[in-house]
Amino acid sequence: MKQASFKRFTIFFDQHLFISITLLSVMGLFFLYSASQGNINVVMKQAIFVGFGIFLMFILSQPDPDIYKILSLVFLVTSLLLVLITILFAKEINGAKRWLDLGIFTLQPSELVKIALPIYLASYLFEKPIPIDIRNTFKSLSIIGICFFLIARQPDLGTSLVVSMAGIYILFFAGLSWKFIGSSVLVFLISLPFLWNNFLQPFQQQRILTSLDPSADPFGSGWNITQSKIAIGSGGISGKGFEAGSQSHLDFLPETETDFIFAVIAEEFGFIGVCILLSVYMFILLRCMYLAFNARDRFCRLTIGGLSLVFASTLFINLAMVTGLIPVVGMPLPFISKGGSSLLSFYIAFGIIISMASHKKLMQR
Amino acid sequence: MIGIEDRFIEKRIFKSRLILIYLFFGILFSAFIYRTYTLQVYSYSSYELASIKNKTRSLLVQPKRGIIYDRNGNILINNVPSHDLIIQPAQIKNISKYLDRLNDIILINKEEREYVLERFENRSIYNRELAVKRGLSDEEIARFEVRSYLFPEAVIDKRYRRESEYPHLFSHVLGFVGGAENENMSDILNKQGKALGETLFTYANGYLIGKTGIENTYDDSLRGVFGEKIFEVDAKGKLLKEIDFIEPKDGIDTFTSLDLDAQKVAFEAMAGRKGAVVVVEIESGAIITYLSSPTFSINQISNGISSANFEKLINDKDKPFFDRVSQGRYSPASTIKPAIGLYGLENKIINWDYTIDDPGFFVLPEDQRIYRGWKKGGHGTINLESALIESSNTFFFSLAYQSEINDLIEHLANFGFGKNICVDCFNPGKGLLPSPQWKMNNLNFGWFKGDSVNLGVGQGYLSATPAQLAFYSAFISNKGSLEKLSLINNNIEKDTLVLPASNITNKDWDRIHKSMIGVIENPKGTAKRLKNLKSYNIAAKSGTVELVSLDSKEDYELVRQDISKRDHGIMIAFAPMPNPKYAISVVIENAESGGSVAGPVAVKVLNSLITE
Repeated sequence: MKQASFKRFTIFFDQHLFISITLLSVMGLFFLYSASQGNINVVMKQAIFVGFGIFLMFILSQPDPDIYKILSLVFLVTSLLLVLITILFAKEINGAKRWLDLGIFTLQPSELVKIALPIYLASYLFEKPIPIDIRNTFKSLSIIGICFFLIARQPDLGTSLVVSMAGIYILFFAGLSWKFIGSSVLVFLISLPFLWNNFLQPFQQQRILTSLDPSADPFGSGWNITQSKIAIGSGGISGKGFEAGSQSHLDFLPETETDFIFAVIAEEFGFIGVCILLSVYMFILLRCMYLAFNARDRFCRLTIGGLSLVFASTLFINLAMVTGLIPVVGMPLPFISKGGSSLLSFYIAFGIIISMASHKKLMQR
Repeated sequence: MIGIEDRFIEKRIFKSRLILIYLFFGILFSAFIYRTYTLQVYSYSSYELASIKNKTRSLLVQPKRGIIYDRNGNILINNVPSHDLIIQPAQIKNISKYLDRLNDIILINKEEREYVLERFENRSIYNRELAVKRGLSDEEIARFEVRSYLFPEAVIDKRYRRESEYPHLFSHVLGFVGGAENENMSDILNKQGKALGETLFTYANGYLIGKTGIENTYDDSLRGVFGEKIFEVDAKGKLLKEIDFIEPKDGIDTFTSLDLDAQKVAFEAMAGRKGAVVVVEIESGAIITYLSSPTFSINQISNGISSANFEKLINDKDKPFFDRVSQGRYSPASTIKPAIGLYGLENKIINWDYTIDDPGFFVLPEDQRIYRGWKKGGHGTINLESALIESSNTFFFSLAYQSEINDLIEHLANFGFGKNICVDCFNPGKGLLPSPQWKMNNLNFGWFKGDSVNLGVGQGYLSATPAQLAFYSAFISNKGSLEKLSLINNNIEKDTLVLPASNITNKDWDRIHKSMIGVIENPKGTAKRLKNLKSYNIAAKSGTVELVSLDSKEDYELVRQDISKRDHGIMIAFAPMPNPKYAISVVIENAESGGSVAGPVAVKVLNSLITE
């Protein structure tokens, strides 16, 4: 936390998060250079996003967090409307309507919901007495449900799950009663077969089954996982070297620039590289925990906790997917995978986190 | 609103729940680190292997086949480098236009064009190469190379053709090579401990294997060991660059026992007539000459023959493809007589003083059926020696009539009849040594005394290959024992056939030899016309195979109008006497006489081996 005082105005800034996120972003550009087989256009485009994102993060950390409390409903409604517009009007790509073409770049509105929903829920719940009563619980769950179904309709199961997790984290931190948690987990487990049959597309079911045994179908849906595991495994301790990954450079690995970029990193930089990368992520997460503990009020606490866990969830879903622990769900590696919307949404999230961490209420004790 | 005291509770709850979730993520993190550790460190070697297997494909590199020599070191068949224009059909869309374009630079004639069009589709599917034109001249190469950028799908590359300087001389004994089928290749690769990668086949092209003759029997050693070109490939299997090369091991050069000069003499002497010439070195059983006539060009077959020409060869009525030496079946006719005589001596039915009166025919006591000799009026009073010299049928009819048929058959089997007597001939035939059992099984008839009588003069069911007749000839020359025949002297322990004789003495053998010398030297000998053709003594026995059983010479005059029904001529011989080195058998189909038609061929070949 730094409040650098100048003559006229104060800059709100957290050098730990700022440096580590910038570091990740720059590393990501290098990884992307290799993953895109030296495609400088891809890297340049990403660099523009990174530059803009860091700038955005800086700008968003300046205003007092209370403004986010006020704007949270507008933010959520706007992003949900965008999702709705996407469903209604967007062009279908690979059987899904997820992207809005804005000319200069294509926006994925569901990425915004990922941020907007926890902020809104935090602003809704921060003054509710604890434990959260049934009425507020159901109100919150309804909002989460609307978000979930809208995004799931695109269809984008991965994002819709992360979005609802984001909402549930806030609810949990705000003091959801254990009784309620226990009984809903029970209901969920019981209705699992029903959900499997009615809410999952056949290709999604196939993905889940494949992740349980990828070798059963090595050239079908298991191909991605198998090739990804080969890429990671063959990296060994020290890796094959920058731009020397045969799995990625000879096209065995799918989606090297986006979802499977971690496999490229693991192949080229080995276990050592993986550990270095993960420690940067760990540092960011632990810093967020520290900031959440020391937040100035409940709204900030809940928001920092929720947003940092959205970040953590995205990260671990991606990692688990790439290493074949869970089905392929299409989740980016934060700050590294190519893709404007998710990248920008995390810069926005961290901009808000830094704002909340660096603005202190003098009255507060 | 939330109260002041609740604020502390709220903060505590938040902290404990955040820690709880972080712990949960901590566990996930540890699990993930463990997972990555297992992949990258613990199972590294297996994933590394998988990654290498992913990105590499190996192409087989054919070793040079072993050179085949004759016994004097003359090269019989060799690998001749040839610069071929090779295309990749899979990358060409319109082959007809492509050939037109190529034709502007290198003339592609009609036959070559057809050859390409016939194979284009198949090669394209399996992504194999295809040679458009072989044996390019320096000028053609230069003309193509300066324009090669126009033809990225074509390349001029060195390939080896299997070529013999004497393509017609050794057609059957050396045999020809041809493209390997997939199942051949998988066998070969299994033997050489190579993995059967899909690419080994996909890109497999022009791998040769021996199809017939020595090329086939000794394929394993002639072939050598395949090398491998290892390429890096992308996920689509496209070859990117060569990353490793395992040298092939060339095949082993092979020395045969064949004699180029003697083979040439035999070939010229046969002059394209249907038949066979086989010469055996008596001491070793090595085959010196192996000629089945007529022949065909092995070069043509090995290096791509148009289907029209191939059809012509296959349908030729003289059957040039047929290996008469190993597969032909001919009645030994009168050449069997020395063996029948030896049977008589062994079983003491006759001795050298035993005589009969030959009226020119033999009457079977059972049914008064008449068996005729070749000479009207007969040979008068004859013993074994004169019966062999003059080739009396009556003498041997009578002798066979007195035989115990199973003993006689066993006796003949010792001479190699009805057996494979060659250790490394390609597809050796056994001829047919009939027996009562065989007749019952195959013809559903019992054995008649008349069958035995016919056997006595080598007619009837008995048949032998020219190779067996040569073995038989050498077996007699060597006095009743001989190593099995072979084409390559390669330390394989060879069987030796021995005649188990208790009553036949060395003297008997000498007199058999003497009688056979008389066949040429005696004024009454059936091959007396050969007497002045050589400068040393030859022991011989002629035979004339009747294809149609007739009672009189007049009938034969009618029959011989059809050339294919004329008698076959056979001659077996060995020389120089008294210490024979070489034994020979000559069969000429429809020659009508063993002594005067097959005989001169035998003498010419023996001359080439002995006088020089």
